[in-house]
Amino acid sequence: MSEKEQILVRYGGTRKEREIFLKSMMSPEGKPEVLDDAVILDASYGNLSGDICSSIYAEFGAEVIKIEPPEGDPSRKFTHYGINRNGTGIPFIMEARNKRFITMDLRKEADREDFKKLVKNAHVVIDTFKPGQMDEWGIGYRQLSEINPSIVYIAISPFGHYGKKAQEMIDIPDSDITAQAASGVAANIGDPVTEGEPYNWPLRAGLWLSWYITGIEAALGGAVARYYTRSTGEGQMVDVATADSYASLVGYPVTIGFTWGKARPRIGRHDFCLYPYGFWKSKDGIVAIAAPRDHDFRALLKVLKLWKIEDDWRFTFDRIPDILPMIEEFYKLIENETVKYTSDELIKMALEYSIKSARSKWRGGGVPIIMKVQNPSDTMKNPHWAVRGSFKEFDEPDMGKFVLPVNFIKMSESPPRVKWVKCNIGQDNDYVRKKYLQ
Amino acid sequence: MENYFDYTKKLFDPSRVNEKPEVFKGLRVLDFTHVIYGPVAARILGSYGAEVIKFELPWVGDLWRFGVYWGSFWRHSSVCFHFVQYGKYFFSLNLKLPKAKEIIYKLAEKADVVMENFASGTAETWGVGYSQLSKINPSIIYLSCATYGQYGPMRFFPGWDLLAQAASGAISVTGYPGTDKYYKLPDYVGDFLPGNIGALSVIMALNYRKKTGKGQYIDLAQTEALMRIMPHFTYNSITGEELGRTGNTDPTMAPSGIFKSKDGKFVAIAAATDEQFQGICQAMGHPEYINKYKDSFERLKSENSKELYELAGKWVQENTVETLFEQAKRHRFAVAEVEDDYQISTDEWRRERGSVVMVTDEMYHKLLLPGPSAMLSKTPARVKWLARPLGYHNRYILKKMLGYSDDEIKQLEKERVVGYWDDRPGIKPPVYYDMKKDPMFNYKGD
Repeated sequence: MSEKEQILVRYGGTRKEREIFLKSMMSPEGKPEVLDDAVILDASYGNLSGDICSSIYAEFGAEVIKIEPPEGDPSRKFTHYGINRNGTGIPFIMEARNKRFITMDLRKEADREDFKKLVKNAHVVIDTFKPGQMDEWGIGYRQLSEINPSIVYIAISPFGHYGKKAQEMIDIPDSDITAQAASGVAANIGDPVTEGEPYNWPLRAGLWLSWYITGIEAALGGAVARYYTRSTGEGQMVDVATADSYASLVGYPVTIGFTWGKARPRIGRHDFCLYPYGFWKSKDGIVAIAAPRDHDFRALLKVLKLWKIEDDWRFTFDRIPDILPMIEEFYKLIENETVKYTSDELIKMALEYSIKSARSKWRGGGVPIIMKVQNPSDTMKNPHWAVRGSFKEFDEPDMGKFVLPVNFIKMSESPPRVKWVKCNIGQDNDYVRKKYLQ
Repeated sequence: MENYFDYTKKLFDPSRVNEKPEVFKGLRVLDFTHVIYGPVAARILGSYGAEVIKFELPWVGDLWRFGVYWGSFWRHSSVCFHFVQYGKYFFSLNLKLPKAKEIIYKLAEKADVVMENFASGTAETWGVGYSQLSKINPSIIYLSCATYGQYGPMRFFPGWDLLAQAASGAISVTGYPGTDKYYKLPDYVGDFLPGNIGALSVIMALNYRKKTGKGQYIDLAQTEALMRIMPHFTYNSITGEELGRTGNTDPTMAPSGIFKSKDGKFVAIAAATDEQFQGICQAMGHPEYINKYKDSFERLKSENSKELYELAGKWVQENTVETLFEQAKRHRFAVAEVEDDYQISTDEWRRERGSVVMVTDEMYHKLLLPGPSAMLSKTPARVKWLARPLGYHNRYILKKMLGYSDDEIKQLEKERVVGYWDDRPGIKPPVYYDMKKDPMFNYKGD
């Protein structure tokens, strides 16, 4: 048997074997990196979504050169309540993985010449300046594609680099909260009108949803473009607008706006499609419960010993949350039961039922899913993520100890990984100049 | 030199999207996924030109065919299903039967990517796991999507977007501090975003395969993808405290928030950099704050940012949206109106940009769909056709891709290896549409 075949046989073995094998299969140790031949010039300025995009390439092994003016990128200072390490904020530290930091003042002619020299050996350029700024400096896609026809140029801005709106709004800078507002995140979080102000207002998602989506989408577009370059040698421009990246990702705002001819109201903790699909109080916290399919729902009623209400709420279409008072009543019926148990008890009850129903000869007995609503600190303590290596602690001389979420994609041959996190301004000036500018 | 915006407009021109080349033309994707997370990844490859074959159980179909808002179907179909599944080939096949497996293995010989999102190990049990398909085709790229991944103590836990949000902590960070009100991230973004990351990982694997010829196995956990976008873990490890919920303000920027303007509209404003802060202080008529909070870390401290938040809130209340935008343009800080679904679907600039596209389809006629988030100038993503009724492409796939004869197909139909829809909305065609005249459904050969 060949080694590969042995692996496959073992892989298809018992559960325990499968688990042990998968863990070693997905370990990044000593594996090649897919982008080890790519050089990324990240010229993003005052907009972390560009750094997020280049971070993803850096995790896949690209040489990412972050270009900052001598005083540093202003996005170093975007940080929660001013918490910083050595003048650099938390989001920037999070996105500083595997990168090279050099200082180059693109406002100056001489540095722009150096930038052009770098572009000759580069594969991707990331630009978050206002549309047309790089072009005005002579280093936009128009000029760079002449220097290096296979360059992939990623531009990120609030409204994109083409069209009337982009021109009209050219002076308005980007931020995550305004992008959330413009792309339909905020309008769809919040309580119904019946609740008082400010709870019925649009609400910001408690993380940089728009900037992260933008960064990831830009990385996705850039990866597609890079694949095209590999086949044809041609580069291209990739344009991402933060004001629509969310709406384009999830699709609901556009399709609902079109088919309903009006906007959705905010309905707080309820869901528009599925019920029960939300969170309920337990004795010691909050649990998320999802049992929207009819057989899941019946199973949930059995788990919670609530069979007496089955007759009223039997079908999916009895449980559509379009009449709010009705669905609130239903919410309370479930809550009356969930508060009797602790979160762990509820999870265990649901799992036991699911296992029983899967093993019974009446398969399809329903899978009520219950999970604890965890704080980030609970999540970090969860042994599951320790087994999967999802968090890694770093200890850097300038920054002290900190934890990053890492290894978010597990791949058997060319997995992404975090090798180092160091982000002093201009720390790699010598390295980069020696390697690319001589 | 030509004006920059004229140049970019020509570069991206949305009306020419369909003339441009497709990156993944010739790639075949076998899509065993269902609901949203998973199908989205396959659809993205499809929108860039790959041939995606979506497998569904006959007479049952994908669960998300019935995932409709407030119970209302659109032309006997779900609009979200159209968005998640456009441009695929719909193949309805009973996986449990040996004849069906034969068909799948034949397709796998020439396939490049396989995707599934069942509970860990289920695909293996059904004979379509990585261990089986990579024997047939060693250079295959296999993406397994699960809520908690393929290994680890929680691998058998079932999950949806909601559970990933709960387990990652995303639910606990949205809302107002000191209340018992929690909100989940809307629109199943906990499915869509990991789905996009799945597509990204497959594209990276395709790049790797182009270099080395090797396929690989990808294990994607929805919850890990959500954890990747949260700064809360790093904050927690540095300060030893929970970041918690911050209501309507972004704690990384001061002032920032969503407020109600004088004309009753909701407006988000933010001053990210020092320059923007100086601008907003000028606009608010409080230049004294520029010196008071010169240092941005000082400005962001909890009590100081609260002061600025209240100041900004008061200022927005006294101004109309129009003045706010004028001020923002002059003083250069970030501002945006909170847009709801209707505004987003009717915004002119989104149509001009190609972020919102009116798709014309033979079966469903007109539907407004969002374009891709990332616009590519040479090889843009496109919508070829919308979702189709259950088993719509059965005959096309069996005949054109696998070379089955009419009699063999009839035999397969008789043995219920392949199947079609029943009378339920979601899986059947719209009432006005005559299936008997459809050339694709009744595929007779070229």
